[in-house]
Amino acid sequence: MFCAKESCSILPLFVAVPLAGAFLSSLLGKTSSKISDFLGSLVPAILVLLSFSFIGLKEVLVYKMGGWIPPFGIVFVVDGLTVLMLVTVNVVALMSTIFSISYMEKYTDKWKYYTLFLLMLTGMNGAVITGDMFNLFVWLEIGAISSYALVAFGTEGEELEASFKYAVMSSVASLFILVGIGLLYSYTSTLNMADISRTLVAKPNANLINFVFILFLLGFGLKSAIVPFHSWLPDAHPSAPAPISAMLSGVLIKSLGIYALVRIFYNVLGVAGGGRVLLVLGLISMVLGALLAIYQKDLKRLLAYSTISQVGYIVFAFGLGTPLGIFAGLFHLINHAVAKALMFLNAGSVVYATDNVRDLDQLGGLREKMPVTANTSLIGSMSIAGVPPLGGFWSKLVIIFAAVESKHWAGAFVAILVSIVTLAYYLKLQKLVFFGKLPVRWENIKESPVLMCVSMIVLSCICIALGLLLLPQLRSVFLDPAVEVLKNGVGYSKAVFENIK
Amino acid sequence: MIDQLYLLILVPFIVGITLLLHPRQKGQEQQQKGQGSLFAKIISIAATAVTFYLSCLIFIGGQNVSNDIFLIDAVNRFIVPAIGLFGLLTVLYSFRDNFESRYFGYILITLSASLAAVVSNNIVLLVVFWGFLGLTLYLLIGLSGEKATTAAKKTFIIVGGSDAVMLIGIAILWFISVEGSGAGLTLNSIKAFRITQINVPLGLWQPGGRLAIVAFLCLAVASFAKAGAMPFHTWIPDMAEVTRVPVTAFLPASLDKLLGIYLLARLCLNVFKLNQSMMILLMLVGAITIVAAVFMAMVQHDLKKLLSYHAVSQVGYMVLGIGTGVPVGIAGGLFHMLNHAIYKSCLFLCGGSVEDKTGTSDLDKLGGLAKLMPLTFVAALIASLSISGVPPFNGFVSKWMIYQGIIAGFPSGGVLQVIFLAAAMFGSALTLASFMKVMHAVFLGQGGKRGTPGTAGAGGAVSGETHWTKWVPQIILAVLCVVFGVFAFQFPLKYFILPAVPGVQFSGVWQPGIATTLMVIGIVLGFVIYLIGRIAGSKIRKESVFIGGESLPEDVRVTGVDFYQTIRDIPFFKVMYYLAERKTFDIYNWGKNIVLFFAGILSFLHTGNLHTYITWCIVGVVILLFVIAR
Repeated sequence: MFCAKESCSILPLFVAVPLAGAFLSSLLGKTSSKISDFLGSLVPAILVLLSFSFIGLKEVLVYKMGGWIPPFGIVFVVDGLTVLMLVTVNVVALMSTIFSISYMEKYTDKWKYYTLFLLMLTGMNGAVITGDMFNLFVWLEIGAISSYALVAFGTEGEELEASFKYAVMSSVASLFILVGIGLLYSYTSTLNMADISRTLVAKPNANLINFVFILFLLGFGLKSAIVPFHSWLPDAHPSAPAPISAMLSGVLIKSLGIYALVRIFYNVLGVAGGGRVLLVLGLISMVLGALLAIYQKDLKRLLAYSTISQVGYIVFAFGLGTPLGIFAGLFHLINHAVAKALMFLNAGSVVYATDNVRDLDQLGGLREKMPVTANTSLIGSMSIAGVPPLGGFWSKLVIIFAAVESKHWAGAFVAILVSIVTLAYYLKLQKLVFFGKLPVRWENIKESPVLMCVSMIVLSCICIALGLLLLPQLRSVFLDPAVEVLKNGVGYSKAVFENIK
Repeated sequence: MIDQLYLLILVPFIVGITLLLHPRQKGQEQQQKGQGSLFAKIISIAATAVTFYLSCLIFIGGQNVSNDIFLIDAVNRFIVPAIGLFGLLTVLYSFRDNFESRYFGYILITLSASLAAVVSNNIVLLVVFWGFLGLTLYLLIGLSGEKATTAAKKTFIIVGGSDAVMLIGIAILWFISVEGSGAGLTLNSIKAFRITQINVPLGLWQPGGRLAIVAFLCLAVASFAKAGAMPFHTWIPDMAEVTRVPVTAFLPASLDKLLGIYLLARLCLNVFKLNQSMMILLMLVGAITIVAAVFMAMVQHDLKKLLSYHAVSQVGYMVLGIGTGVPVGIAGGLFHMLNHAIYKSCLFLCGGSVEDKTGTSDLDKLGGLAKLMPLTFVAALIASLSISGVPPFNGFVSKWMIYQGIIAGFPSGGVLQVIFLAAAMFGSALTLASFMKVMHAVFLGQGGKRGTPGTAGAGGAVSGETHWTKWVPQIILAVLCVVFGVFAFQFPLKYFILPAVPGVQFSGVWQPGIATTLMVIGIVLGFVIYLIGRIAGSKIRKESVFIGGESLPEDVRVTGVDFYQTIRDIPFFKVMYYLAERKTFDIYNWGKNIVLFFAGILSFLHTGNLHTYITWCIVGVVILLFVIAR
């Protein structure tokens, strides 16, 4: 761990490194795909190391851009929640880029892919690390716009259509967010998140907060695919190349959507769970997502609907508003990020081997032919379905305990019933893809290249090990600080201003 | 003692994981398919033998353990060596089969997880191992090839789903116990969440009683699904039909019963104080399970499926016994659990040997195997007499105790008592009838004609007794059936069952020693009379099969399959069988249909039309505005 002052000065690297990587990739990548491969994996690797160096951070770090003191300048803020998000985002990004090295061979213009990928990563890291409202919007758009391009990367009709829908819907969301920010700015005369929070505490205005709450709920809710703002996701996520699907479902909707949502609701607006709104929307999302997932015939579409359902769990847990609920939400966020990224990479591996067949009815019996893909996929499925002892089981357990603790009996029962449906559709996936009869046309199918297998194996090992985060020793350095930040509510502003040096 | 417990769980687990991670040589495995992996077999035999030895040590050691992780007391002490024994016998039985090393890996991990579930004191830990067993069962069924995938999926959805329901039961239990103690609800309190610390009264009118009932029902669902009581039983017949026999014998027939009933007993003895209505509910579930499943068993054509319906039916006795809430009934239920695991896995193993030799488990095609496979026949005969509750075998003793439990449970008599008693006895009689059919169809009766296509059995492809690795486990289990019956009071009840349930009082008299002696004397006398007759020169007339006076053509065999076909013709049963065969009573099908119905509607709404989607967003915002910013 770095000492506080040094750590402060490396904060901009989270944005600068991927931005530089994107620049270099577009400049040098044309000459050789090796260079962009190398850059694409090197950048997330550096970011993983950087983010790991912050684990166990005791205080809030504030970096002033250009030395301007807030609220006049833009600040980067790192606290427990930021560290948790940074680690999750960058680990998944690293695995996705390692996977991409072999997977993206099938596409042309690899350098463009890496440029866009790194820009998207810049957007996510920036959105997580920033302490400024408008700056958040800028990072959000950088991440979102590069993801529109990435969804359309295959340039087939279906992909272009999905990308168009995604772009339109997401722009609507951005618009609402912008209006929300504008309203806050006009009332508080500041864009610094801590300052907004301080001003709102000093002169509260319930009507404004309620209205802005709704605007942000649509904006960030659409980015994180909460029902009824979810409808772009089942088109966009399956259409992207597999590593991008993994990034979108695994971390993008969490860093640009859920993170921003809870950060603003808890720390800036101080509305915590937002009454029962988040709770109810979470429940609706988990039910609808699961019911729709079980109906799908397309491998990646099933996973996309599953994402909606699992986001429902996370939002439900945050909606409880209790410390245990926050804990459960963050824990499930990590588990789902890793497991869903793994599932999309598995799907990518299947698609890679079968030459773009995603129809469940045409697959089957791949278990013997692709043992690494099959076994890692089993681990990922079981983790999301909440089978012990995998990570997803523990977060489901804590969610149920949290719901029971705050006496939301009905919510707890719905969550349980949905988890049975979740198990059912993941078993359906396993049955139709990996068990059963091997169609004649896949007789000579081969396991994916080594690098793809490596990233799947690493992610599945993380899936197995994530339950260990509940151990008190690990919990106190990783999850508990993040829970503290949200529990602290509008105390966030005090923490930020105290640490400006 | 603690070290032994760790070893007990870790030895099979580590060996199992090693076998799973052991790299597979693809080309080689194809070539050696006849052999399977000898290395895997030897190492797993060794591991299960060590596990069994350790489990016996723990039983003989006789200490009670109760810390944050482990709990060993009279209720679960005897289950530990039982699980160890079944692990060893299953691996031994599979020794000759050309199973892959993954199979042995899964079996060992299953063994480890079952032992861990039985000895864990922390309820969350128990759920972890308990739920993990669902996964290993799924994988074990999945190994049986493509025909088993549907059954594997169904099994895991029912078992895994019930585990999820169990979670909420535990969450409520945690809520009740921690809230009551005032310690505050924190994650750390989960760590010290011991079975022995909880004692919750059930009751609609007590404070927290209603919540406790919900918790109890949720936990009972998990134990029913695992053990296979109705209405969560439907996975057992489905999977038994398509799965390798040792898997069925190992999990649904023995281990899952031991675990499921252990949990139920633990709930009733330690965790909850049952009230009258819960007891009656349990007994109702038990009685319905007994009768309904045995009716289904009687008309089956497939040996494995028939046995699996009996495996369901017998669970009814255990639930009924525990539901009485009387010491003798609970003890009877626990004893029946042990006995059932013994005779039912014996029956499945015998069935497996028959299938192995003849290549079929279809009762229509079997017959006359008694002469060819005498050891299997004897083992199967003893086990089927046990399951039918014929004295002096073990099944009789435990059923006898359950009857006493029912009588003692209703001191004032009443209609319910009569119904439960009748269900139990009627079920027992029908079980006997069903096994008469099995014995006739498989071992007695006519064998197939030599060379007749589609028939196996005498004169067919079969040659001689099954391999010793297969009949030794069968005989061991059959001997246990006899010993547990004849010496019931001297051995199993004294050391296993009665310490677990204090205060058992027998109202009826049963002296198996004297009774057995008398029976043996009777049989010997009969045989002597028969011999004397033979010596005196009386003739024994051998007759062909009597079928209502009609003469039997040469090429037609009489099998026992349709013995009870007439039941189907009774109007009421006709409807019931029709509905049951269309899976109308299958809770899995209900769930599936409901889910797919709603999924269909929702899917219809997702048109892919951008305008519609944006409209939803706007409507969503309007609703939110109305709700929040009114």
